[in-house]
Amino acid sequence: MTPEQILNLPSMPAASPSYPMGPYRFVDREYMIITYETDHDLLRQAVPEPLVPNVDGHVLYEWIRMPDSSGFGDYTESGLVIPCTFNGEPINFTAQMYLDDEPPISAGREIWGFPKKYALPKIEVASDTLTGTLQYAGQLVAMGTMGFKYQVAPGGVQATAQGMTKTQCNLKIIPDVDGSPKICQLVAYNLTDITVKGSWISPARLQLIPHVNAPVADLPIKRIIGGKHFIADLTLPHGRVLFDYVKDQAG
Amino acid sequence: MKKADVLALPSMPLQSPTFPRGPYRFSNRQYMILSYKSDVKAMREALPEPLELVGDTVSVQWLDLPDGEGFGAYSAVAQIIPCTFRGEECNFVSQMYVDNTPPLAGGREIWGYPMKNGKASLHVNGDTLIGTLEYAKQQVATGSMVYKHDTFTRDHSVDLHLDRTQITLKLIPDINGKPAIAQLVGINFTDIAVKGAWAGRARLELTPAVNCPLSDLPVYETVGGLQIVTDMTLPYGRVLHDYLAH
Repeated sequence: MTPEQILNLPSMPAASPSYPMGPYRFVDREYMIITYETDHDLLRQAVPEPLVPNVDGHVLYEWIRMPDSSGFGDYTESGLVIPCTFNGEPINFTAQMYLDDEPPISAGREIWGFPKKYALPKIEVASDTLTGTLQYAGQLVAMGTMGFKYQVAPGGVQATAQGMTKTQCNLKIIPDVDGSPKICQLVAYNLTDITVKGSWISPARLQLIPHVNAPVADLPIKRIIGGKHFIADLTLPHGRVLFDYVKDQAG
Repeated sequence: MKKADVLALPSMPLQSPTFPRGPYRFSNRQYMILSYKSDVKAMREALPEPLELVGDTVSVQWLDLPDGEGFGAYSAVAQIIPCTFRGEECNFVSQMYVDNTPPLAGGREIWGYPMKNGKASLHVNGDTLIGTLEYAKQQVATGSMVYKHDTFTRDHSVDLHLDRTQITLKLIPDINGKPAIAQLVGINFTDIAVKGAWAGRARLELTPAVNCPLSDLPVYETVGGLQIVTDMTLPYGRVLHDYLAH
């Protein structure tokens, strides 16, 4: 294998790269998002400066079903997103993500710094209830429930599509081979080519169970705000660096 | 979280880093190493320049890792191609499959171990040491070896090569999709304490699978097996060659 071939590889292993080059198209991506209010001091600790967490103390607990994802396959994801601001601009910070498929874990961590770990999330319609569960290391750590297509979301699919264009960001950390930080950045991206196929709201309930390696319950639930359920096609492109901790430290 | 605390994190996510800082001590690490003759042209194509191929024999290794500091309990399969780097005999780690996130993410992100998620198993069944690997629900590798046939009859301490430099090809993209890291990394295990080693007859079957292509180095003839039980420490590595600097 020549240096030119090596530099054109999208990912490891060279013998069969885990993920191809982006962008990545998702078809029939189904979201279930339960918004809740948490402790303001704990929220501040979970958000890396210079991001500032939202003043309402809101957290989004998400399940996402991805049956058709180019390069990645068929998988499900669950985790926590914290609405923040960066230089005054609204931005969603992904704090924790759990999924059941290796290529999007590796690509997510290595390209965009999505904080992904392997676990078993699930979304299902159980009789009248849209139900999300998350199992980590054999234990249930999250269980959310919503009414099924209970009420069309205000503004319909257009408003939901507009909301999905909001800038999202991650804290990307990749160590050097000596353990020192090689990449330590806030990384931003925006979904493109969004077509929302349906969008609903409903009352919701959420249970988070303390677990050291999947600490979703570290941002405890003070009050449930509500649930949102929507289905969309969209494209996840590459992104941009918002803030570089290594360069910032170097002055 | 303060910026200085962010820089001190060992890994993502901020709230529960996937892996802690190294080095990483492994206790009762068990190997089954099955060596086989393969296609020399395919072996050469699988090696990144400037590594050079040695011989016509590669190995598929099963690892049972019941106690890995920071990583937990898991199993792995690796495909190893012997090579030289600047004249030194080394082992290029070409493919690796594990069933546990911390070593998978830490392996890729620190050293560039070419790890994907596969279900490896190494166990004794009756009279046979058996290794299997499932990828995406299909069994793609089956290895078998006689169980401790040469106890007391041979000293294997010279054949083990556990201290030989391992080489990985570390590739990490930048946020724009271009390569941010493209390096050959050298790794040397330390504090190796071998508790037992046995050689013996072995067989190996590799099944073609596109996302787990062990059989791209086909089995022409199984040379033999080596079972090892050891304690050893995985330290950080060093950059041997930087493709972006050349």
